[in-house]
Amino acid sequence: MIRDSVTLGELERDALTEIVNIGVGRAASSLRKMIGDQVTLSVPAIDIVSQRRAARLISEREAAELVAVRQDFDGAFAGRALLIFPESNSLELVRAVTGESLSAEDLAEMEREALTETGNVILNSCLATIANMLKRSLAMTIPEVLHGNSAALFEIDDAGDEDGLVLFLYIDFAVRKRDIRGYIAMIMDIPSLEKLKELLDEFIARVVGDDG
Amino acid sequence: MAEAGAEQVRSILAAAGASGSWDWNIAADALRIDSRFAELYGLEPEAATRDLPTATFFAAIHPADRPRIRIAVAGMLAGAERFSKEFRVLAPDGSTLWMHGRGQAHLDENDAPVRFTGLLIDVTERKRTEERLRIAQSAGGVGTFEYSDGFATATVSSEFCQLLGLHPAAVLPVRTINSVLCDGEPLLLPQPGSDAIGDTLEAVFRIVRNDDGSHRWIARRGEVVREGSGYRLIGVIYDVTAAKEQEAKLRELADTLEMRVQQEVAERREAEEALRQAQKMEAVGQLTGGIAHDFNNLLTVIIGNIDTVVRRMDMDHDPRMRRSLENALKGAERAASLTQRLLAFSRRQPLEPKTIDIARVLTGMSDLLTRSITETIAIRIDTDAELWKVEVDPHQLENAVLNLAVNARDAMPSGGGLTIEARNVEVRDALPGGCLPGAYVVVSVIDSGTGMSPETVAKVFDPFFTTKEVGKGTGLGLSMVYGFVKQSGGHITIDSTEGHGTAVRLYLARKQQDVLLEAEERRPSARMGNADETILVVEDDDDVRAYTVGILRELGYQVVEAQDGDGALRLLGGHDVGATLLLTDVVMPRMSGPELASRARALHPELRVLFTSGYTRDAIMRDDRLDPDVDLLSKPFTYATLAAKVRELLDRGH
Repeated sequence: MIRDSVTLGELERDALTEIVNIGVGRAASSLRKMIGDQVTLSVPAIDIVSQRRAARLISEREAAELVAVRQDFDGAFAGRALLIFPESNSLELVRAVTGESLSAEDLAEMEREALTETGNVILNSCLATIANMLKRSLAMTIPEVLHGNSAALFEIDDAGDEDGLVLFLYIDFAVRKRDIRGYIAMIMDIPSLEKLKELLDEFIARVVGDDG
Repeated sequence: MAEAGAEQVRSILAAAGASGSWDWNIAADALRIDSRFAELYGLEPEAATRDLPTATFFAAIHPADRPRIRIAVAGMLAGAERFSKEFRVLAPDGSTLWMHGRGQAHLDENDAPVRFTGLLIDVTERKRTEERLRIAQSAGGVGTFEYSDGFATATVSSEFCQLLGLHPAAVLPVRTINSVLCDGEPLLLPQPGSDAIGDTLEAVFRIVRNDDGSHRWIARRGEVVREGSGYRLIGVIYDVTAAKEQEAKLRELADTLEMRVQQEVAERREAEEALRQAQKMEAVGQLTGGIAHDFNNLLTVIIGNIDTVVRRMDMDHDPRMRRSLENALKGAERAASLTQRLLAFSRRQPLEPKTIDIARVLTGMSDLLTRSITETIAIRIDTDAELWKVEVDPHQLENAVLNLAVNARDAMPSGGGLTIEARNVEVRDALPGGCLPGAYVVVSVIDSGTGMSPETVAKVFDPFFTTKEVGKGTGLGLSMVYGFVKQSGGHITIDSTEGHGTAVRLYLARKQQDVLLEAEERRPSARMGNADETILVVEDDDDVRAYTVGILRELGYQVVEAQDGDGALRLLGGHDVGATLLLTDVVMPRMSGPELASRARALHPELRVLFTSGYTRDAIMRDDRLDPDVDLLSKPFTYATLAAKVRELLDRGH
């Protein structure tokens, strides 16, 4: 059960979706510049779920092993951001980003670097946009690439004492007419989510004004 | 924008179904709209020709949707790329229209948004259809899916996800959908390498819901739409678990029908068996009763005649003959006692209840008990000091106690203790088994023997049920006791624990007026009659009649005899016969003893009546006891008993 203090209302959810969409829009624009081709990114839906549930959400949808780019953030609110792809899709992404010309060996060699770079662009854009729109600042660590199943990525163990919540974003990628699905997950503790919710309310008040 | 050009664009947009277009200049903070947008928002047509405040964009939007759209627009102004929102617009005619606003941001060379343009498309019809579809799905519990050949995902409704226990999503990987299926089930949607799709989607699947792990049955229905070399599957799923469970229940019912019929039949057979057993017992009872009757007549003759011989002859001359006759008499008496037991079993023994003191009866039995019970068993008789009186047949009570004592003995082959108690007991609440509240004297026979299992206890009162080896018991003992207690209006309980012993308790109702009527039993003595006392003997058995008449004449009475009721009435009708006593058999052909007695009394009210019987059946018994007015002489009788009974009757005043 997720407590009320961190449950997002409809408007808060809309606002966060909008902000994240601005972020991924900026990321798409950066990627376009990087690879010189059409890139679109959109976030159709967000959820706040437990770490365990987040792991299940992904395992429900993805049978294959996963690859993720991880970055920690700290500031007004703190947490850990993950950009997650099915492993098969990650090579697609690398191929899309690097162009079709690479051999399989080169591709494998490039994978880590390309993923790190792509993940950095997307996560950075999202987090920076969130900070910017909410008029706060966030500091980010250097990105890392991880492989594993969803339980490993969400640090689920048998003890079941993980108490963090996950801001879960579904993202649709389209790069060079390839459809790639992925997920952004931001693992935060309750005080951080409460802070985020509070900042979202401030943002809504600013934008909506009297109509709220 | 030239007027003609604008008009051209407007008509193209109108043809495309657009209800308006806008151009939001972010840098100048101004909004331009076309004439259809103005019309939709209820603005003057000239509003389409000039810059408007940007707030105009939100003016006609339904208040409930406005914050959401403001947030989305704020996103566009801050750098989001696409705007695609559905919202309600309040039209000037008062109607509410659903609009799909689609827009995009125009960026400058620094990626900063400078303009935000877009179209409004009326989707009211579609919204209503969606609404109906949504309600149809949620109300009907129906989830929809659409799958295109070759894709790894399917488009699904939220109800679809809910039915399978999956997290709601618009698009699900086929693999995820199929993962809820139980092992061995066909695929819900085709996966790479799965069999070719048939012509119909009609099928039922067993699944394990992903969220709560419950097992459900899901039906799939739909159509296969062929498109070129490929196809699309459009269909629905719904839960049919309830129907399936009902089906299974019905099937189980059908499957177990045979078994249940067998069970019913077995139960009925058992009931029939019990009834048959009861009927058999009734028949055996009648038979034994009948045999006993005839036997008693025969024994009357045998005992009577031996008796006569013994009395008439001077035996001292021939001791051998005397011994022989005494042995013959002993044998006949044993036969008489056997007959008595047969009658007791058939519950047709005439009871002669008397108001008695049970303590005295039990004390009187101690000799008999000591003789019947082996020395390894310690006998203790214990009675309350002020024991209430009861009204029962004392001989039958003795018989019952003896029977129980013998059973107790047999339950203690290696010795033990036998306690016979009599206690005053007030029963406050009705006891199980039908003992009503009231005052009772409870006679208990308690042993420390082997005890019985509950199954055995349930059957001990059944006639011919015996735990003893073949030849050791008749199986009639407890049945006789039960018959006697019930016939006496009492109650019997049995408590037994295997390995610890058995206690049988006879509840005999307290006799309220404690007047002790029991006199010392008169020793039958031959008391003579005289010639002015005429006795009419009616007996269908010639030998018994001859014997009876012989004794009475010997005693000095005037005797007339008849073979049946009609003959007797004829004699009584004649003036020359002044009978004092009618001695009649109870059971006779054509006219029974009691019938004769009542008709004879009609003629001679002063006439005294003595019945004789081998058994009495219902003829002279009320509630299984002798009517107090009726005198009965049980067969076989002897010279002495007949003499005493007749004398007693004649001497009894009216």
